[in-house]
Amino acid sequence: MKNIKFLLFSTLVFISMFAQVDRTNPPKPGIAPKINIGKAESFTLENGLKVFVVENHKIPKVTFSFDFDYPFSVEGEKAGLSEIVGGLIGTGTESKSKSEIDESVDFIGANINSSSREISGSVLSKYTEDYFSILSDVILNAKFEPSELEKLQKQAVSGLKSEEAEPNSIASKVTNSLIFGKNSPYGENKTEQTVKSITLDDVKTFYKNNFIPNVTYLAIVGDINKNQAEKLVNKYLAKWQKGEVTKSDFEFARQPFVRKVSIVDRPNAVQSVIHVATPLKLKQDSKDLFAAKVANSILGGGFTSRLNLNLREKHGFTYGIRSSLMQDELMGSLDISCEVRNSVTDSSLSEILSEMKKMRNELVSAKELDAIKKYMIGNFALSLEQPETIAKFAINIAKYNLPADFYETYLEKIEKVTAEDVQAVSKKYFDPGKIHLIVVGSNEQIGTNLKKLSPNGKINYYDTYGNEVDISAKILPADITAEQIVDKYYEAIGGKEKISQIKDEQVIMKGNVQGYDLEISISRKFPNKFYFLLDLGIMQQIQKFDGKNAMVSGMQGEKILEGEELETMKIESEMNPLLRAKELGIELKLVGIEEVNGKKAYKIDVIKPKNNVTTEYYDISTGLKLQEISTRNTEQGQFTTTIVYGEYKDFNGYKFPASISQSVAGQSFDLTVESYIVNSGLEDGIFVVEKQQ
Amino acid sequence: MNRYGLLAFLLISTFLTISAQKNKIEFEEYDLPNGLHVILHQDNSTPIVAVSVLYHVGSKNERSDRTGFAHFFEHLMFEGSKNIPRGEYFQFVQGNGGNLNANTSFDRTFYYEILPSNQLGLALWLESERMLHLQIDSIGVETQRKVIKEEKKQRLDNQPYGSILEETFKRAYSVHPYQWTPIGSDQYIDQATIDEFMEFYKTYYVPNNATLSIAGDIKIEEAKNLIETYFSEIPKGNRKMNIPNVVEPPLTKVIQDTVYDNIQLPAVIQSYRIAPQGTADFYALEMLTTYLSQGKSSILRKALVDDKQSAVFTGAFPLPMEDEGQFLIFSIANMGTSVQDLQHQMDSIINYVQSNIMDEKSFQKLQNQVISNFVEQTSTQVGIAEALANYHVYFDDANLINTEIDKYLAVTPQQIQDVAKKYLNLNGRVVLHYLPKSAQKN
Repeated sequence: MKNIKFLLFSTLVFISMFAQVDRTNPPKPGIAPKINIGKAESFTLENGLKVFVVENHKIPKVTFSFDFDYPFSVEGEKAGLSEIVGGLIGTGTESKSKSEIDESVDFIGANINSSSREISGSVLSKYTEDYFSILSDVILNAKFEPSELEKLQKQAVSGLKSEEAEPNSIASKVTNSLIFGKNSPYGENKTEQTVKSITLDDVKTFYKNNFIPNVTYLAIVGDINKNQAEKLVNKYLAKWQKGEVTKSDFEFARQPFVRKVSIVDRPNAVQSVIHVATPLKLKQDSKDLFAAKVANSILGGGFTSRLNLNLREKHGFTYGIRSSLMQDELMGSLDISCEVRNSVTDSSLSEILSEMKKMRNELVSAKELDAIKKYMIGNFALSLEQPETIAKFAINIAKYNLPADFYETYLEKIEKVTAEDVQAVSKKYFDPGKIHLIVVGSNEQIGTNLKKLSPNGKINYYDTYGNEVDISAKILPADITAEQIVDKYYEAIGGKEKISQIKDEQVIMKGNVQGYDLEISISRKFPNKFYFLLDLGIMQQIQKFDGKNAMVSGMQGEKILEGEELETMKIESEMNPLLRAKELGIELKLVGIEEVNGKKAYKIDVIKPKNNVTTEYYDISTGLKLQEISTRNTEQGQFTTTIVYGEYKDFNGYKFPASISQSVAGQSFDLTVESYIVNSGLEDGIFVVEKQQ
Repeated sequence: MNRYGLLAFLLISTFLTISAQKNKIEFEEYDLPNGLHVILHQDNSTPIVAVSVLYHVGSKNERSDRTGFAHFFEHLMFEGSKNIPRGEYFQFVQGNGGNLNANTSFDRTFYYEILPSNQLGLALWLESERMLHLQIDSIGVETQRKVIKEEKKQRLDNQPYGSILEETFKRAYSVHPYQWTPIGSDQYIDQATIDEFMEFYKTYYVPNNATLSIAGDIKIEEAKNLIETYFSEIPKGNRKMNIPNVVEPPLTKVIQDTVYDNIQLPAVIQSYRIAPQGTADFYALEMLTTYLSQGKSSILRKALVDDKQSAVFTGAFPLPMEDEGQFLIFSIANMGTSVQDLQHQMDSIINYVQSNIMDEKSFQKLQNQVISNFVEQTSTQVGIAEALANYHVYFDDANLINTEIDKYLAVTPQQIQDVAKKYLNLNGRVVLHYLPKSAQKN
């Protein structure tokens, strides 16, 4: 009895112990599984084609992937050629039209994807041979039809147009052209012009010279074994003719000597796409490659990277940020990228730079280093789930002449990296002072703040193809029209309604020029009577227009204006002409946003009849006119007059600048507005021009 | 024997071979007493394991003044628990060599971790921690509020054509909560409170509304013990879930609108109301999609991209949803094509599929394509885990992972023509013209 009770008791204890699981700590892991990199079988045809086979029967499919490793070259005026050739492969062979090829590929539920350096696709293993016969026909016997070339060119041009609106593709293009150089194969960008200049002969020559077996790798992965693959490849590709490729010279851009800030303006953008990038002297066989990979993972490799924890989890600046390290047999690069809201663009860049600095200045802790190694090793293991990975490893070893055990010792090499190694490569590769900061975003909203990140305060502006542009000519706000800006101005100075009811006005200004006191009085009467008096004491200058005739008088005497000069005077005499722009034949053109004395302003060209253009600047926030620049042709030559309006002041319900400064032909004078009077009932008398016979 | 008879015979034999060829996915499934549904698939070929939890809650369960809530909550599920400090969740997975993520749809929310297989216990501890006693604080909520608004900008507002789903669905439904999309609106993302999140958590994030689906290098008994250890103490939920039962009235007119976007090439979007996923009509509609736009020889692509060269892209997408979903046809104009012409050409293809039954060869092609697509979903462990969970939750039949192909193959050309007529109603649809902002008149 006692024993039974005891037994019961212990069972209960056991059960309750079992239920009382320790939740405070994660469970101890089991024994780490051994990571086996599957083997890729390989063979080489007599024509030099290298074939890699990875057998895997999980799903009844086979994937073929041709990697055309012809040398890189600058395409220049024909930029886009290799892409067009890649795209055209599959659009015709000696025996089949495009629609016949498409139909036969689709019929077996397969696909062919082709690009400049890769042609690949997969098929149900049942149809392996049907598919491979089509695929090899397409590659070996490509026939290029003019109509297909034209079609592809048209699509490419549409594609380019479409990309002009895609912030991420703009950012990648501009980043590549900045870090690799516009005159390098990695950095050049195709344009409408280069695409259109590609001829059928260009295509044929490029294809003939480059799509040859001795520079090509073929990966065959999936539901197939080596014997089957070998038979297949021999049957269809043995006849593929060997060739010779020619290498050409080109130079990549270098790491910048100082930090460079570049903007591609996208006025409507609600987010900035940021790239912090530089070319690096890092290659596939660099000794410190693994340390660099570890350092990069710590900085921006995964969700728990320093950059992501900072910019996303601490500050909520972005949905995600990552840092990528690229290296091949020619060169390497670092590219940190994310998308952030406009208002935190500069803060995000500062945080990125300071995380780079921290990598250089501080040793990474043992705990962080250990976690990142586990992450990298784990991800390496996870990637092996895809049999394509194994084929890729084998091809990389062949392609980059890597040691045969490069991937087998991969984990070991990661394990060996020390905190000191990480700091050393960070000092070498993560230099916040020698890097490009590239932002695709709204210049109006971010430009000013980015200046402080540039050592010389300069920002370089680029178009969506990576060409440097003059910003003043480019920024075009899309959310407002010139007419709306003018309306806003009239509202700001008293209200459109009220201003349009002005019958006459008179302004008196005083100033000093070359030691003499100066007084200017300007009177206008609706619609276009005009009187201007400049009184220097020692002399006077008068200009008048009475609606019909005009005169000027001064030291040189009096002159009645005629012809062109009269026409110009007539136009210039209109009272508030922009209220009646249409009626007066005045065209308004919004040309951009610029800063005028620290204030952001809309820049509008006011094109009056006879092509007299005045460029006017209106304050974005207040709507007030800040500046006016006009160029006029006179008998004495061309004069550019700049008028800058000062603080606006209230004159009986109308706003008028309290000061005006004018400069013409290198001379400038400042005027203070003494009075501004509206609707005082000016007589016609002062305007009358007496035409002498 | 006529030609068609022979072809028909060939067809049948083809399927038999292929059906037999596909490796069967073996699995075990059971319920814990608290209602948690468990599905286990063992595959020891690669030493990794995918652990997933599907909660049967999506944006359709949200209040109309809290759109985006389910997705917001998904972000908060990574914040931590009673035993996991804020920010450590990711660290536990990545620091042990794994990957993790989650996503939210109209109908469900899906979480997963992929880890080296010796870390199965860790994944189960993590998932059970956040199912049992999630902890969220105001710092986490405020940070994620910002992050989500950036996510929305990145995916929708700053992305050409990014707003298509939102613009379509808000016009396609008038009463059903499908009228808003999982990302929701900034206004309500701003208003969501911690109390509301905890209420949501207690209502929907309960074992009886969840499916734990695991695939990979496991031992079934060991996995069961670990699951018992970590999940059995989680109490069953008993709050009333908001499951919409509104019936969206049929759309009997054309809702046509223009959307001005930051794009260069105009686009046309047509959207048609369709049958819920899993119905015979839905399978026929999926076949119709393949017929219309999968592969370069598909009729929509061939006509618009190749022959007329009026589009740079065209595609048909039936969106599988628990209630009546949408069938989207989306084309981006090539240079020099107007939206009117493009729409006209799309309509004439629809007319064509409605008035013609496809020939035997097209039908055989279609079946080959569908089989080819179907085998893809089982190429990764996480793909298998997700498919098993979906099949269980939506159709109460996880074995559809092996048999669903039969439902596709049962569809006849006649049915495809019938669903084209029944659902692609030119007089009851949403039509959107996407135009560049520069084309907008002020």
